[in-house]
Amino acid sequence: MTANSRKFAAVLCRTAPIALGLLTLAACGDNNNDAPPVATPAPTPAPATTANFNVTRCLNQTIPGTGLTVAGAVVPDTLKINLAAASGFPNGRKLTDPVIDVTLGVIFLDLTKNSPALLVGLNPTANDVAFRTTFPYLAAPQGSPPLSNTNGANFNFRTDAESAYVRVDRMGMPAVSTALIGSSRKTAYNDASPADDAAGTFVPDLSTTLTGLTNALADDLVARGLSPCATPN
Amino acid sequence: MTIGRKLPLALGGAGLAAAFVLLTPGIGILAADHLDPPSRTDPAMDSTPDRPADIADIYAWHTSTSVILALTFSGPQATTLPATYDRDVLYGINISNAGATTDTEIPIRIKFGQDGANQYGVDVSGIPGVTGDITGPVETIITKDGVKVRAGLYDDPFFFDLQGFRNTLATGNLAFNPNRDFFAGQNLTAVVIEIPRDRIEAGSRLDIWASTARLGGQL
Repeated sequence: MTANSRKFAAVLCRTAPIALGLLTLAACGDNNNDAPPVATPAPTPAPATTANFNVTRCLNQTIPGTGLTVAGAVVPDTLKINLAAASGFPNGRKLTDPVIDVTLGVIFLDLTKNSPALLVGLNPTANDVAFRTTFPYLAAPQGSPPLSNTNGANFNFRTDAESAYVRVDRMGMPAVSTALIGSSRKTAYNDASPADDAAGTFVPDLSTTLTGLTNALADDLVARGLSPCATPN
Repeated sequence: MTIGRKLPLALGGAGLAAAFVLLTPGIGILAADHLDPPSRTDPAMDSTPDRPADIADIYAWHTSTSVILALTFSGPQATTLPATYDRDVLYGINISNAGATTDTEIPIRIKFGQDGANQYGVDVSGIPGVTGDITGPVETIITKDGVKVRAGLYDDPFFFDLQGFRNTLATGNLAFNPNRDFFAGQNLTAVVIEIPRDRIEAGSRLDIWASTARLGGQL
């Protein structure tokens, strides 16, 4: 575990039980496993940055309106819905939500000074075609692709037990967790389940990657007049 | 490619001072969740990519009366191509509505089948308050016991500047362009399910995630 991943774990240990109620984090209190879970890729010549930030404060922030910390929103890797509040990412995920820009805001900005929505507009803010306002909500396919006929009635559905199937892919939160898991760990991540997330299995990966991104991009955020949540080491 | 929703980050490494360098390897592998995991779904890294089982995105939202779920997969793709209905893939939308947020109280399972040439059907099981499975042809709205299901080919609903993201990772400078949408003009396959809210609501919190699995093992 790197120093920063330890800090991330410490943050999770402090905040996750509050945010997630019944969960316990098996990794809490265990700092003895120093085996880095992420293989180091072959170095590619590139200018290195000297920035060195600590992202603990970012992960410990509460996302306004959700009652969740950033760490609690990412771990476990599920879409979280509070039915008592209005729908819209990160409270669930609607088709129209600009999830990438909101995510960037949430993981990089000081949410006491900047709105999580402040980076909306970096990327396109809407789909290229309009969504339907009624079920099934998704827009019709573009172009003139061949479509299945709709007259079948006796379909040959498999009847095998679920145990006969082997996991290929999983997904909960858009971008965040998948983006924050290194290439060498993606297979293990997709084989895992939210219980593994909650046990802290991938916390070092998340912390390491977020730190790297912050070190690279913090200067850009400051140049735009924004307040990064990370603190210099 | 795990693009959509799995952003093309694919970062690795642990050195803090070298973090910028480490942003470079793996770029171009993924995006949102399209082509993720690369070792199983990305043609660049797998000679037998499992495109049908490649999740693009999971959406879930609520209204005063409904919970709506949309699982998109096998995309994005050109608008000349047909949908993907693979009978050997088991799609899951896993919902926790009580107790531990990591336990699945409502395991919704989705399968596809065929009835002759170019006649495909969908089977949805596990929805509370529905007697038996919901089955019927794709490309049409199926209604049973108050639940609506429609599987079919759709526009890819995700919007994001993938190229800008890759450029950002490669340079360490924010390089997004709000007028560049990698997913524009592309389609994918999806299943949309609308469920009366009282079938799902037990407390105020829901945790939802999607999974795919292939019969007999990975390709």
